[in-house]
Amino acid sequence: MNNIDSLTGFLDRLGCLHEAVMLTADATDSGHPFAVIWLDLDRFKKINDSFGHLAGDEIIQELALRFRNRVSGRAVLCRMGGDEFVFLVPKCDLAQAQQLAGELARTVEEPLTIGNLTLRPTASIGIAIHHREDSLTLIERADRAMIAAKSKGGNSIVCSGEEPIPGRLGITLAREELSIESTLHTALETGGLSLHYQPIIRADGEIEAVEALMRCSVNGENISPGKFIPVAEKTGLIIRLGEWCLLQGAMQARQLHDAGYCTKVAINVSRAQLVSPKFTQALHAALICSNAKPELVELELTESLFMDVSDTIQKNLKNALAAGVSLSIDDFGTGYSCLANLKDIPAKKLKLDRAFITVLPEDRRALAVVKAMTQLGHELGMTVVAEGCERQEEIDALLDVGVDAIQGFFYARPMPEESLLPWLQTRNSK
Amino acid sequence: MNDALQGSVPTAVDSLFERSIIDVGIPPCPVILDRFMAEARKDEPDYNRLAIIIVTDVGLSAGLIKTANSPYFGMRQRVRSVNEALAILGLDTASRAVAGIVLRKAFPNVPNLERFWDASARIARLSGWLAQHLEISGLRADDAYTYGLFRDCGIPVLLGRFPNYEAILATANQDAVRSFTDVEEEHLPTNHAMIGCILAQSWWLPEEICLAIRNHHDLAALQSANFNLPMLSRRLIATGQLAEHIVQQQLGLSLTQEWTKLGAACLQVLDLREEQLEALYVEAAPIAEAEE
Repeated sequence: MNNIDSLTGFLDRLGCLHEAVMLTADATDSGHPFAVIWLDLDRFKKINDSFGHLAGDEIIQELALRFRNRVSGRAVLCRMGGDEFVFLVPKCDLAQAQQLAGELARTVEEPLTIGNLTLRPTASIGIAIHHREDSLTLIERADRAMIAAKSKGGNSIVCSGEEPIPGRLGITLAREELSIESTLHTALETGGLSLHYQPIIRADGEIEAVEALMRCSVNGENISPGKFIPVAEKTGLIIRLGEWCLLQGAMQARQLHDAGYCTKVAINVSRAQLVSPKFTQALHAALICSNAKPELVELELTESLFMDVSDTIQKNLKNALAAGVSLSIDDFGTGYSCLANLKDIPAKKLKLDRAFITVLPEDRRALAVVKAMTQLGHELGMTVVAEGCERQEEIDALLDVGVDAIQGFFYARPMPEESLLPWLQTRNSK
Repeated sequence: MNDALQGSVPTAVDSLFERSIIDVGIPPCPVILDRFMAEARKDEPDYNRLAIIIVTDVGLSAGLIKTANSPYFGMRQRVRSVNEALAILGLDTASRAVAGIVLRKAFPNVPNLERFWDASARIARLSGWLAQHLEISGLRADDAYTYGLFRDCGIPVLLGRFPNYEAILATANQDAVRSFTDVEEEHLPTNHAMIGCILAQSWWLPEEICLAIRNHHDLAALQSANFNLPMLSRRLIATGQLAEHIVQQQLGLSLTQEWTKLGAACLQVLDLREEQLEALYVEAAPIAEAEE
């Protein structure tokens, strides 16, 4: 057995090539998929230069141990030299290879202690799936994909042939989304999240509520919610962001109340939060920690909830009502909104989607739809709110058909937390 | 009274810190406040001792971290330990704020949290020591200390809100079968681990610490490879449970059943064998028994 790497016990370069020849032949004969994953550590040379080759060897050994524990039995493990590892994975298609690559990336990311220093290494990973080619070509494609991952700045996974690439959480994400995901992690770790508040004004001029809107800013760069919310939803990060919002929004409700304002704070809750059995606990935890009056907290449910109102969602909504908070339905009238579901959600408020509002008052058909939705809302005992109002004519038309409250730039833009109380005070004194 | 307390005019940071301590809602331990004031009032206070006293208290430490991670200090750098937070705020500022809390009697009706204060400080100290002594892979002693200190910070919050929580705690402590949080949830709509996690998130503590707090009574999370819990969080949980077990061993108290339920899984995470524990008890004794 001369083809064994002495440091790791993995196959060495020659051993890898021999094994790949056999596995390629097997794949061709059987028709089973066959994946090659090439993993290269980022900035390893720097580690070697700074800490010496002994430390470098120690790192390679530790990682080899982790790889062995992680993939044992699933893949043939090879060390091509230096910090380059290859995994030959028989009976493995693209999706499975992406998942395995994600697992390997996370294995590498586990903190590593050298002396009294803790490193958090990352890796660039290339994937190639066998496609009627010889073993050398296949391995080369994996290598090229790895180089592409490296040229993106490292810490990423690229599949040969430009397929979509998996993110840190192993979910298929496009390139821009990957960078947003990483920014969100940074925001959660560096205090890069904040809430802005936009008032909702009733027809009589009183304040109906303020809606809490999440903002994300890292190193002075703002990312719009339209970009980061979908990524957070895809990766599951929305649960952490959502819990953070629940507590901050509830704290704001308490602070306003302490300052003499019984103003409701409306907090957006995503589908991912509501399908989790932990939602009720998180909501109560936020109410307890903030010491907010539950009646001053409103949960805005996004329209995607309507896709499928499962038992868990029903239970969570029931528990929320029992806790004393109120519910409102956001973005109504577009997307997945379905009248049949409207009766199943015990909401007190209906927020009409801005798409209907911006064409008012000229678009008579849109006005007719708004009027019908408003009547429906009232029949169900709900307060009806119009979002996205920017012009006096829109507001006149909306109030004319019976809409109860208005939210939009016409009255106020979303404002940072520290501006909300002064805004309320100024408004009061007028 | 020395400069640390008299100082000049209170700064914005002073009141920010005082406000944070009050907002966190976990009353500082009166004994620690007394000890702190006694040292600070000396003509030549020992600053090392002041720092040691302040980082022993859950409420003061949480206030320190919340303040240091507030937008006031910019958002580029995040502190992840009490010591780092103290370095950023400076001991003078911290001292003035603590004095302010005492003088203004910011926490007039402090519930009896003696056991909580004592246990948190011991578990934090021992967790930090274990991380170092066992050379637990990837685990910084500072992180282990921070986790140990804040692991149960949901408890005083619940004690302050639910008059029956003391009785619930007693039941949960004695249950050798069901998980601690399951017992809590039988009586409450939430549990102390969830409360601790969302508080820690709001102080911008690292994700691994928040997740460890959230799952620290969850055997499945500790054991299952499929459960999406980082290894570092598992190591924190295991270190904290081991620390608590050692403290109870040393003080001859058997106050909880957590080691019965989670011990084997914790040893596995830490790569320790049962027979190694005896030696560890002996080595850890001075740390576990120390009063400060």
